[in-house]
Amino acid sequence: MPLNHTPFHPRTAPLCQGQTWRRWAGHLVASSYELVHEREYHAIRNAAALLDVSPLYKYLVTGRDAGRLLDRVVTRNVAACRVGQVLYTPWCDAAGKVQDDGTIARLDETTFRMTSAEPNLRWLSLNASGLDVTVADVSASTAALALQGPTARTILRQLADLDLAGLRYFGIAATTLAGIPVTVSRTGYTGDLGYEIWVDAERAVPLWDTVMAAGDPYGITPCGLLALDVARIEAGLILLDVDYVPAHRALIEDQKSSPYELSLGWAVKLDKETFVGKAALAAEATRGPSWKLVGLETDWDALEALFADVGLPPRLPTAAWRVSVPVYAGGRQVGYATSGCWSPLLKKSLALAHVEAAHGAVGTEVAIEVTVEHRRKRAAARVVPTPFFNPERKRA
Amino acid sequence: MAKSYDAIVVGGGHNGLVNAAYLARAGRRVLVLERRPIVGGAAVTEEVFPGYKFSMFSYVVSLLRPEIIRELDLPGHGLHILPLESTLTPMLNGDYLAAWADHDETRRELYRHSPRDADAYDVYGRLMHHMAQAVKPILAMVPPDPTSLSPRDLAGLLRLGRHMRGLEASHFHALYKLMTMSSADYLDEWFETDVLKATKAASGIIGTFLGPRSPGTAYVLLHHYMGELDGVFRAWGFAKGGTGSVSEAIAGAARRLGAEIRVDAPVARVLVRGGRVTGVALESGEEIRARAVVSGLDPRRTFLELVEPGLLPDDLVGDIRRFKFRGSSGKVNLALDGLPEFTCLPGHGAHLRGAVSISPSLEWVERAYDDAKYGEFSRRPYMDIVIPSLIDPGMAPPGRHVMSIFVQYAPFALNGGWTDQRREAFGDAVIDTVAQFAPNLPSLIRHRQVLTPADIERITGLSEGNIFQGELGLHQLFMLRPAASWARYRTPIRGYYQCGAGTHPGGGIMGASGRLAALEMLKDGA
Amino acid sequence: MSYDAIVIGAGVNGLVTAHYLARAGRRVVVLERAVAPDEAPDAGWVPPAVIKELKLTAHGVRVERPNPWIVAALPDGGRLELFADPARSADAIRRLSSADAARWPEFAARMGRLAAVLEDLYAAPPPDVRSRDPGELLRLAGLALRTRRLGKRTVVDLLRVLPMSVAELLDDWFETDALKGVLAAAGVLHLQQGPRSGGTAFSLLHHHVGSPPGVFRSPRSNLGAVLARLPGVEIRRGAEVARIDVAAGRVRGVTLATGEELVAPIVASSADPRRTVLGMLDAGWLDPEQVAALRHVKCRGVVARVSLACEGVDAGELAVAPSMEYLERAYDDAKYRRVSARPYVEGSLRNGVMDAHVQYTPYRLADGAWDAERRRALGESVMRTLGEHVPELRGKAVVREVLTPLDLEGRYGVTEGHLYHGELTLDQILFMRPVPGWSRYRTSIGGLYLCGAGTHPGGAIAGGPGRNAARVMLQEMPR
Repeated sequence: MPLNHTPFHPRTAPLCQGQTWRRWAGHLVASSYELVHEREYHAIRNAAALLDVSPLYKYLVTGRDAGRLLDRVVTRNVAACRVGQVLYTPWCDAAGKVQDDGTIARLDETTFRMTSAEPNLRWLSLNASGLDVTVADVSASTAALALQGPTARTILRQLADLDLAGLRYFGIAATTLAGIPVTVSRTGYTGDLGYEIWVDAERAVPLWDTVMAAGDPYGITPCGLLALDVARIEAGLILLDVDYVPAHRALIEDQKSSPYELSLGWAVKLDKETFVGKAALAAEATRGPSWKLVGLETDWDALEALFADVGLPPRLPTAAWRVSVPVYAGGRQVGYATSGCWSPLLKKSLALAHVEAAHGAVGTEVAIEVTVEHRRKRAAARVVPTPFFNPERKRA
Repeated sequence: MAKSYDAIVVGGGHNGLVNAAYLARAGRRVLVLERRPIVGGAAVTEEVFPGYKFSMFSYVVSLLRPEIIRELDLPGHGLHILPLESTLTPMLNGDYLAAWADHDETRRELYRHSPRDADAYDVYGRLMHHMAQAVKPILAMVPPDPTSLSPRDLAGLLRLGRHMRGLEASHFHALYKLMTMSSADYLDEWFETDVLKATKAASGIIGTFLGPRSPGTAYVLLHHYMGELDGVFRAWGFAKGGTGSVSEAIAGAARRLGAEIRVDAPVARVLVRGGRVTGVALESGEEIRARAVVSGLDPRRTFLELVEPGLLPDDLVGDIRRFKFRGSSGKVNLALDGLPEFTCLPGHGAHLRGAVSISPSLEWVERAYDDAKYGEFSRRPYMDIVIPSLIDPGMAPPGRHVMSIFVQYAPFALNGGWTDQRREAFGDAVIDTVAQFAPNLPSLIRHRQVLTPADIERITGLSEGNIFQGELGLHQLFMLRPAASWARYRTPIRGYYQCGAGTHPGGGIMGASGRLAALEMLKDGA
Repeated sequence: MSYDAIVIGAGVNGLVTAHYLARAGRRVVVLERAVAPDEAPDAGWVPPAVIKELKLTAHGVRVERPNPWIVAALPDGGRLELFADPARSADAIRRLSSADAARWPEFAARMGRLAAVLEDLYAAPPPDVRSRDPGELLRLAGLALRTRRLGKRTVVDLLRVLPMSVAELLDDWFETDALKGVLAAAGVLHLQQGPRSGGTAFSLLHHHVGSPPGVFRSPRSNLGAVLARLPGVEIRRGAEVARIDVAAGRVRGVTLATGEELVAPIVASSADPRRTVLGMLDAGWLDPEQVAALRHVKCRGVVARVSLACEGVDAGELAVAPSMEYLERAYDDAKYRRVSARPYVEGSLRNGVMDAHVQYTPYRLADGAWDAERRRALGESVMRTLGEHVPELRGKAVVREVLTPLDLEGRYGVTEGHLYHGELTLDQILFMRPVPGWSRYRTSIGGLYLCGAGTHPGGAIAGGPGRNAARVMLQEMPR
């Protein structure tokens, strides 16, 4: 068995009806459990979706200088992160180009848990020179579930011995769910009300059973990556390797992106004394980034007309797409979209795109390529604010 | 058969064959003269024991130039390279380290040895990819003459300089480190898993008289990654039918392009008059005329045997006399009744279809080198083992197998010389060492062939059995290969050229020397 | 207390840097950890420019060039002496091999020419081969032209010899084991390499720099003592720097172990680079890859200093290196982190006192740490070795002090006891020394410089790094 199974595999495997698996960080995870993913998507937006997110890389950073280490590495201010708080942050190489993005949860004064899309043990160790800190890779020993959707809080309330109403957006707390010790963070990748539950790998299966049982009356649905992809695009959230090339994997300079170019400038705290890439980012902040990551909404009428021209009704894929699609303005290519989907909820064709900074303002009119019956066409599109979907309940 | 040719190629090794093919492709009348009954030199497949085909000497194809594969249409002449994608290294404690074709699978395997090394492996691999990209153009370059002030050579030096300066600073410095460090020191900076470092470092000492701790061995680490850059051409692997099929494919292409190839035709000397070649004389006394003669033999034979050294400048003769050839490799080819069982990973799994590396620790490989330094063969040698019949079933009768064992170190200048007794003792040491990890091996051996550097020299003509036609140290590479001012495939004798691995870019089955030499010859109007 | 510049370390390079700055009118303090100045004579060639520019002759600087520059112990108890005059050396060699004697003058001349090329390079910061600056390109072109003018042979020699092993080089020229042994020893000084290792021919040439053709050992001088007495610079002894203070990416000064803070906009450290960065700086100010690179600088101390009393014996610059195989086997032991069973021993034996250089004695041992017992065993091994090869010392040598690499680290503050502050291997010289990007004495922290042997041109060049660093610093310091 050359690929890893997650700790939830005994439960997820029998549920994966079409045997459609994907690779995520060397693990097998379900693309969808049912033969099509749509119901799983709607569970995210209308009930509660249960996702196995165990393949995330997780590191426990402990010790007197734990915070100092993380502050050396990431662009946000970790010193200001309180116990029980979670930060989302990118981090960069010395040239200010993004290597990875993830979360940092402060579990206590000297204990942090960091998640990332790629392995970071080496990077954290390299930065720990002269510091009193220990970095442990807990990726395999910590299993993780995401419970996302409007009924998520209600479900967890049945189980938690902690008042979840008090758990703020991007907060984290230790608790037990039906006696199983876990930490619960109010985080997620769907841009909706939701929680992530972190548990010892050995207790993974009982946790799954517990949550599934408690969620049954509330429409809990195991949910795979296809559905998640649609939701995260609606939420305007980027994905490493799809929406950006991590700096260390780039083969040429142009493939790299700074946080500013990914519209993550808000996460760059230049008033921090020092962090990797600060000097380069300070310089870029002064002269302004050359690129922006924006949300695009394709004009439906324009799209419909392109298909009508060849006698077809508009045909859009139900799954999100991850191919690079050119974006034009004034007849010239000014960027490219890297993720996109048809939003079943918003009934719109959405995309996340890199565009030259001059074309990045909300409201800018552009054109996006559409292939209709083997021919390349362009449909009008507009730069719109992200997240595309941002419900009140997410933060409430 | 015409009596006079545009060019005669002395030696039907793969570089000589490539050279002939390119000359023929340009419309020249070419004759290849090969001493043995078959072409290929050290790239030959022979059925030493009926039914069992051995890649006698070289056993993997590495870095065969994609342009040669394309331009000569080698697949159309029978070349089929099969993947050789995994490496298994048995460890002394009964465990093993494996590298697989799939990245996730390899990472998982590494992770169980060291989580930090699993991370580092990815970063290292990416850097090596960049390094291979940086080095590649140099492989395809005709080296400039560093002592010449001619515009052409200065332009060449400038081009080289521009290329180096065009590299990103960190890549330039990484490349410099790779060229000057030992593979062990270099790997020590990246990894902590000893068996991983040993396996990688071992590939750096193949064919050398150096150990993993010897400076100058790190850059061979690039070898593997250069193969990856060839992308779909996938020039790294096992040739169907054994390495000989590479030579046969090139020979076939050459013949189709009009070249003539004569075997059993040993050349005694190159005929020179008035500072210019006029042809060659075979050992039989037969003389054949040609306007140009190109030697695919190693530099010692090219300069000191095929011609009178007195015809050459003293400097060059001195440099060639000093050019180091110390053969250090041996080969053991086995015909087996069945498959070996490796204690560390029992069964006939995927690992047997790749390479097995006997390199359990850096100290193991370094001590193997220590033995050689003082004139002995390694009592516990480093070995690279392949079972070709599992990759290409035609290499052995059904259910039987052939095993190819490449061995370091077996010094050419063995204390007391390579007698028959010593050859057998060497073979025994090899088998005994493998048996440490696969105890059933001795009982499977139906036939065994042991080739020492003395045998390699005797059979292929490679001086001192050095498989690269001269050691690949920095002071014997590029502009200095085989000698300063004579590293551009030409010689001081007009019409006399060199096209073997004793010229840039050196050894391995690349064919690059043969091709570059042909192109230079055509430029000269040969 | 506020200064224009703080220099860390009162070794030869630190003092040279300090005096150059002082000469240019700057207020400089030198902070030295040790309480008392080091009495040992300084090994290494002093660049004439240093003597001239600091006017040291008037202050009593003496450069000592022993002649014969080496006295090799021969297996039969005899001696091979090599002199500054190649003809005289050839005479000595003739007793062992007339072929070698015939080749000696040419060898001396050719190696001397290559050493002269290095001498040229050492008088300035390392060339920046990637520079686009017209001034630097001009300099590179000049270098290339000057080298080319030395002839084709020299150009080829340079390309060939620099990466070679000293064993291969010497085997090409000579047949006498004892001759090759003492020459090869210069190729492995302070290196964890043997004569068969690539890059050792460079080391041979490095130790020839500044000497007459055919002399492969550095001279000695009293440079350190002279500089310590020279007015113009404040030297504070017993002042250990605990921290180099940095704010907003620039140095602010240093803090001593006592807690005392000294302020200066410029700090130059002559301590070894690893110690400076990993011991005195907050690594958070640096690119983590840079920190890793510094951690990887190879400074594996393999040398012990053993001082002996040998009453009544006076033998000059004695060397026990009977052959290259002897050295290679001694190195083999070190590869596996063991003390050489038969070590290479060399030292000046005058007035019954010998300060011996002993190789290989690795800093890190495979089977434990350096302790009193191992020190004692090492001392005995040295006495035994000397007794075996130098009959007049048999039974006469008495060990007075053994300084293992661990002791050298403790006494001089050099990482792993490496007196050159980093091995002189091809990957750790010129624009790579101590790490790429820092080879011109500047670091990535504003106002912080490195000026010790860990920078170009390295160890055995007394004051060379110090002078180069000072001149770079002066270019960048405000008037």
